[in-house]
This record gives sequence, C-alpha cells and structure tokens, in this order.
Amino acid sequence: MSAWEVFVQQLIIGLSNGMIIALIALGYTMVYGIIELINFAHGDLFTLGCFCALTLVGALGLEHAASVIGLLAVVPLFCGGLNWLVERLAYRHLRDATKLAPLVSAIGVSFVFMNIALLWGGVPMEVFGMGKAAAAPKDFPVLVSNDNLLGESPVQFTAKDAMVAGVTLPLMIALTWFVKRTRTGKAMRAVAQDRVAAQLMGVNVDRVIGQTFLVGGALAGVASVVFAVYNNSIYFQMGYRAGMDAFTAAVLGGIGNLPGAVLGGLCIGLARAMSDQYLATRWTNVMVFAILILVLVFRPSGLLGGKLREKV
Amino acid sequence: MKARWQFHWLFLVIVAVVPLAELVLPQGWRIAALLRPIFIMAMLGLGLNILTGFTGILNLGVAAFMAVGAYSYAILTCDIYPFQLGFWSATGLTILVGLTVGLLLGLPTIRLRGDYLAIVTLGFGEIVQDVLKNIDTITKGTQGINPLPAPTFFGYAFRSEVYWPWYYLFLGCLALVVLLNRNLRRSRLGRAWISIREDELAAACMGVNTMQRKLVAFALGAAQCSLAGALWASFLGSTGEPGNYDFQVSIMALCIVIVGGMGNVAGVLLGALVVAGFNSIVLEDLTSFLKAHELISSSNVLTVPGNWKYMLFGLALILMMRFKPEGLLPSRQLKAELHPHEPRNPPSL
Amino acid sequence: MSLLEIQNLTMRFGGLTAVNAVNIGIPEDKIVSLIGPNGAGKTTVFNAVTGIYDPAAGHIRFNEREVRRPFTKTTAAALAFVALVSAIGFAFAANIEPLWQTAITAHYRYLQPFAWTEAIMAVFAYFGDEFGLRFVVPSAIGALLGGGGAFIVWQRSRRAPEVAARAGIARTFQNIRLFSQMTVLDNVLLGMDTQLRSGFRHAALRLPSFWREQMEATRKALEILRFVGLEQEVNQLAENLAYGHQRRLEIARGLAMQPKLLLLDEPAAGMNPAEVSSLMQLIRKIRERGVTVFLIEHHMQVVMGISDHIAVLDHGEKIAEGTSTEVRRDPKVIEAYLGKSHEDVAPT
Repeated sequence: MSAWEVFVQQLIIGLSNGMIIALIALGYTMVYGIIELINFAHGDLFTLGCFCALTLVGALGLEHAASVIGLLAVVPLFCGGLNWLVERLAYRHLRDATKLAPLVSAIGVSFVFMNIALLWGGVPMEVFGMGKAAAAPKDFPVLVSNDNLLGESPVQFTAKDAMVAGVTLPLMIALTWFVKRTRTGKAMRAVAQDRVAAQLMGVNVDRVIGQTFLVGGALAGVASVVFAVYNNSIYFQMGYRAGMDAFTAAVLGGIGNLPGAVLGGLCIGLARAMSDQYLATRWTNVMVFAILILVLVFRPSGLLGGKLREKV
Repeated sequence: MKARWQFHWLFLVIVAVVPLAELVLPQGWRIAALLRPIFIMAMLGLGLNILTGFTGILNLGVAAFMAVGAYSYAILTCDIYPFQLGFWSATGLTILVGLTVGLLLGLPTIRLRGDYLAIVTLGFGEIVQDVLKNIDTITKGTQGINPLPAPTFFGYAFRSEVYWPWYYLFLGCLALVVLLNRNLRRSRLGRAWISIREDELAAACMGVNTMQRKLVAFALGAAQCSLAGALWASFLGSTGEPGNYDFQVSIMALCIVIVGGMGNVAGVLLGALVVAGFNSIVLEDLTSFLKAHELISSSNVLTVPGNWKYMLFGLALILMMRFKPEGLLPSRQLKAELHPHEPRNPPSL
Repeated sequence: MSLLEIQNLTMRFGGLTAVNAVNIGIPEDKIVSLIGPNGAGKTTVFNAVTGIYDPAAGHIRFNEREVRRPFTKTTAAALAFVALVSAIGFAFAANIEPLWQTAITAHYRYLQPFAWTEAIMAVFAYFGDEFGLRFVVPSAIGALLGGGGAFIVWQRSRRAPEVAARAGIARTFQNIRLFSQMTVLDNVLLGMDTQLRSGFRHAALRLPSFWREQMEATRKALEILRFVGLEQEVNQLAENLAYGHQRRLEIARGLAMQPKLLLLDEPAAGMNPAEVSSLMQLIRKIRERGVTVFLIEHHMQVVMGISDHIAVLDHGEKIAEGTSTEVRRDPKVIEAYLGKSHEDVAPT
C-alpha cells in the first residue's frame, strides 16, 4: 500500500471508531449538561451492554447480519433502563449535596457494574467459554462480515464500517430532531439551562432528568452493540478505556454540547488511528491523555463550547 | 475541644504493643505480620487525605504515585543499575521524586473544577501504568525490578522471615506521617486547605493563594504515597509489575478515606483498619476457609471471594455516601457540611 | 483623589448587559452607598471590583493602579524558567530509552564501579549525533507547551480575587459565605492569611516562630472580634451563630485582612431595628479606623443614616449620585423604586 492509501485506511478506521466513541460521548455530555455530574459509570454501562448483546447472541444463536437490528432494539432498552434505575436509586437524593458526594457514588456504581461484568463473564454459556475464565476477554461472534466493499482495492472499507456509519448517522439525525423538536427534548434543554426556571414553567424536573439518563444510557447501548459487532471482542474492564476516550471527546467538543460530542468523538477516533499507525500503539493512550490535558489547559470550554462562568 | 479522645495516638500505641502481646498469644491470633500491609495502605490513605479530605480535591489515581515511589526506589537501590544507594538515602530521594510528580500533575490541573480534575487523575493513574510498561528497558516491563536489597539499620539487615523489624519500620514511618499531617492540619496551611474545600471562591476573596496551596497539597500527598510505594517495594524485594498499581489500589485508598472519615487523620487510620484489614485478612481467611472445605470451584465464578472485591468497594462507597458520608469517625467539621437539611447539633466543647 | 475609581464599567452575561458604562468614584475615608432596585447590577459591580468577573469594557483603578497582577520581571523570569525546564524535560522524555541505553546500560557492568564521566560524555555524544531531531524538536515542543501554558494560566489569573484582596480590598457577600464548619476564631484567622508568614516547615516542625506567630495572630483576631462584638463566641462553629452574628463575623473576617477598602454587600439584610443601629455604629467605627467603606444596601435607614455619598443604579446604569438629601429628592430615583405614578413620595 502506498503512503496515501495507508493514510486513507487509517482515516476510515479512525472515523468508524470515532463514531462509536461519539455515541458514548453523547451519553456523557447529555447527563453532564443536565445535572453537571460526570457519570463515571457510563463506560461500565457500555460494558454491560456488550455483555448483554453477547448473551442474546449466545442464547438465541444469532448468526445473520440482520440480527444486529434485533440487538439494537433490545440492548439500548436494557442500558437505558439500567441508567434510569441508577439515577433513581443512587444519584437523585444527592443532587443538592456537596459536589463530592455524587461523584463518589458514581465511582461506586462504576465498580459495581464492573464486578457484574466480571461475574457475567463466568456464566456457563458457550459464548462465555462455559464460565471457565471469567476475567478473560470474550470473543464476539462475527455477525457482519469483514468483506471489503471496495472490491480488490488495498484500502478496505468493509461491511462493518458501513454498518457503523449506517447505524450512527441516522441515529444522530434522529437525536438532533428529538432534542430540537420534541417536547421532551425541549424540556431537557430547558432544565439544562436553568433548572429553577424550568420548574417554574411547569416542567417535572425529576422526570426529565430520568428521561435524560434513559436516553443517554440507550446511546451507550447502541454504542455497545456497534462496538461488539465491529471489534468482535469484549472484556469486563473495557469500560475504563471507553469512558476515558468518550470523556476526552466530550471535553474536546465542549461539554454539554451535543454536536461537540460528535465532533470530539470523531477527532479522538482519528487521533487514535493516526497515533497507532504513525507513532506506536503502546503510546496511543498517553496521546489521548495528552490531548485531554492540552484542551483543559488551553481551551477548557472545548471547540464548540461557550464561555464558562460561575455565578456568584 | 480536647474532649474527643485522640484516636490516632491510641491506635499507634496499641499497635506498637501488639507484637509483644504475640509472644504469649496462641498461633491463630497472630495477626501482627498481617498488619504491615495495613500500615502501608494507611500511609496511602493519609496521602490521599491531604488532597481529598483536607483540600477537597478528589484524586482517583493515587496508585500512580505509589508506583512512581516503588519504581524510583527500585531503580536507586537495585544492583542491576549503578546507583545502588542505601535504603535511607533512596527513600529520601524517592520522596523528592514524589513531590515532583505531584507538582507535575498539579500544575496543568489546579484550575479545573472538581469532577474534571477527578477524571484527569483517573487518567493519570492509567497513563503512569502505561508509561512504566512501555519504557521497559528501564523498568523491566511486567517483570518488575528485582531483587531489591533489604534495608539495614545500624548494620543489621532486615530479613523476610523475621517480621517485626519491618513491622516497627512501617509503624515508625506511619507515626511520622501521622504527626506531620496532624501538625499541618492545625496550622495556617491546614486552615487554608480547609477553607478551599469549604468555599474556594470565598477563600480566594480573603487573599488565600488557592493555586499555590493546591499545588502544595498535590506535592505532599504524592510524596506520602510515594513513600508508601517505596516501603512496599522494599518489603517485597521487588516492584512487582506495573499492573499491580492499578485503580483497584486507588479505589481502596478512596474507600479508606471515605469509610473512615474524610479530613481527619484518626478517621483514615480507622478506615485503613476496616477496609485494608477486610481486604488482607478477612478475604484471605475466607478464601482459605472455602478452599479447605472445597467450596471454591474454578468453574463457578461466584464462589471465589476475590471476584467480589470490586462490588464490595463500590457498594461501600455508595452506601457510605447515602447514609454516612462523613465516615465512621467523622471530623466534626464535615458532618454538618454533608447533611445540609438536618438540624444543627450543638458543638461539643 | 479617589481611592477606588470605577470608570465606564460594562459587564455582559450572554446577551444581557448587566452593567452599562458605570462611573463611580470612592473617596478615601468615606462611607459610600450603592443603592437601586433588585437586579440593578450592584453585586455585579462588586464582583468586578473584587476580580471575580472580567469587565467587558472599562477600568477599575485602586490607588491609581489597575487591579491586576502586574507583569513584573519576576513573572517574566518565572515563565522563561518554566519554558526552559519544559524544553529540557521534553527533550529527555522523548529520548529516555535510548539515552538510558547509551549512558547506563552500555557502561555498567554488574558489580563493577560505574564510569560516570564516560556515561555523561555518551549523553552529549548522543544528542550531538542528530542534534535537530533528537534535541531541538522535543525541546521546541516542550518550551511552547510549557511556556505557553504557563503564560495562559497566568494571563487568566491576572484579575483573580486574590489580587484584589492582596491590594487591600476586602468584602462580604450577599448570601453569607462563611466557612461554616470552622470556628469563629478560625474564620478570622483565615482572613488574616495574607498577613501571616509561617509556611510548611514552620508548621511541620512546630518551630518557635510558628508558636509565636500563632499567639500573635490569635491575639489580633480576638481584638477584631471584640471590635465587632463577638468575643463571647470565639470557639463556636460559624454555622451555629445567630444570623446577625454571622454577618458580623463576615465583617470581622474582612477586617482581619487589614484592608484599605471594605465592600459590604447588604450587611443589614434580615436584621431587626436594634441590630441595624448597632451595625450602623460599627460601620462608623470602621471608618474611624481608617477603612473606607463601600456598601450595597436596601435598608434606607442605614443608607441615609451613615452615607457620606450615594450612587443609584437601575437596570445597570447610574441614574443619580450625591448626598442623601439630593438622592432622596431625585425624581429618577423615586421613579426607579416606586414607578412613574408616585410623585412626591420619598423612599423610606
């Protein structure tokens, strides 16, 4: 492959992975926008979604590419519902406490989720290796093939890449419509901007926050299906990496800003691909962290964010 | 104000006497040797306490500082490298390295809000692990740097079979750290830290140099954690692999501070006893018990007690935040801060 | 000659102009009040003066100088130092493994003495071989990031609240912001932070100078508490104080800073008439101590009773200024408070 072809290949890989990161970043940013809490458990929610998807594949013996649609119907509901439940049980009463309490609770939830994923890996099903090594990575069966849609070209744009784009792009358009046009979406934006004013306008703040967690969780669920089908491997600690990448993406784009999360996700995906190819895979995580620090020092409001101010 | 019994001195005195008591106690009661990792975790917890308990900066990656301490100590003492310093000078230099690394993390991050800062520290914890793994010509990758020579004290070389010199070494270091933290807490610096935790903007309006104070907190907290790492490496005779200093350790330190009581030294010591004690003693005993009775099977993941660690730490954090956020041994200061809707208690004088 | 000069101050939040081209001069050793209906922008003016917000336009001069951290030679030297250290640090970090190999691994034989001079020569040779890529590039990146980052952080902190505080401006807050879990004494001692000198080693080692300063500071703090009338509550937790006493504690904390100018934001809010008159007495005593007072207040008895000078704000603009008699009669002021249809009713 020529240097140009290598570059284009990395571009494709970067954008595909970037779209997955963008989906997770959207969930982060939505929750942050509305209650100013970084939901540490979001990455681990993504992990549980992957395990849920694998369980369905194993239990129902799914093999065909079309079953991805089925997964996309069930897993987001699972993740969204779980996220909604966690908000209800662990975060709701802490909303007015000091800033430390909800953070620490979120870390606690993150750990509980991670342990659930660990134990889930020991379930005596074939897809989980008959529960022999609970902590080991699990293979996710191939549902969408790796065939190059560009035929004999050295640059590969596979069916998998097409699937990623095919799921993510319409979803983002739908999300934009949801946030801008529907009543719930407008209520979410209102509560994000000024909770008291929204309440005075008759918005049921508790319900809207719950709905935000539901939608954010569902986005993580979609991301987990896409990730699992694209990468064919899951393990119980993957939420940490995914969470860090998504958080960096959200901050890069401007936290609380939905288009920013998408832009950030794509940028981080590209950065990772370029770093893998032109630097060294073992330094990629350090690269992402460096990007995070650079953004937080030089432009903390992100690429698309406005100025942040504390009202005294 | 002196009515509250000084838990930390009581703890240290009792713990100093335990090995003597062991001379007369039967075999099953001998836990003194098992207390050593608890002392190390207590030092780690106290380091985190400076950042989180005093200054209100949530740090989720203190294991990184511990790793830096362990590896610095190892590079300085191991005979595969030319430095080969003794225990005492190596430990001193390691503390300096810890101060520097703390500053390095603090400098770009002091202006950040609490939750952003927490995630950055989480990322830092992972990055340090990655870097240590990557520069394997120096750090020997997953093999770790070993063997490390034992400390010598006036000519006497510590051995791994004899536990009590280690015991008193760790206890001595812990006592010094406790004294330092207690002195700092009741001083101009400690007041400034607590004011930053309570209301950073008001503190700044009073002229407190919040940036500099936070940097000092980072440096000192990191130095203490590095000391803990150096002692641990010295004890093990090896650094172990970088993967040993992962966020399980960081979260255990956080549990110690949260469960015991944020912002007060006595609380952290109690937290170390409870959390690290549970981890080192109870879980180990439970695992041996289950193994002896053949209740652990490798094919049933639910039966291995070690597989429930994350869940227990996580639940501990969630439940503590829900019901007793000030900790088991609350600093009087923190109690009302975290229960904003409850009626105020009269102060104990 | 004014102690504080607010010139053409304009503050904007999003699309809203909260303060519009406001000019106020505070003469030394006087009590000046800032009044106006709620939402007029009064606290915003205070926040701009104390460095919490950056003005969109205009200047704030205290003692003839802008309230910002000056760009001194020390600052420049510090930034240069940071850039230099970052440059060297990056250069070494980018090359750490090969450096280690050329310097240490190549020269160290197990249990033999180490050839230090040869190792150092090897380091120089390593960089000399390919100076550009190995040394210059990472150094340049490091210098840019380190120096640039430090400069940006410094630049953003030029109008930090501590700059105003160090210059001699103290303040209280509209919603009381005491350190509620610290004792009354500790709150005042915290206010004294800028006057104290003991640092880490004095505290850690409990040197004699630490104890001396502690005693001296406690003595001064008690004197201030006596001045405001809180000497009975020295060891009480701040949050357990009665409301009126909490306001006094905030004032005491501000006085502990030895300020030249004290900004009081609605000090009489929520007070009964007895508390109000003792507050007025206290403010007069503060002026006698040589502290200029600039206060925001709604309580007209206080404003008219103690002010040497009054400025009136409405919807972010200064609509009137003068003595209490002048302001009381000004039709624009009456209109702002009571609306157009009331003509001869003076505000009470």
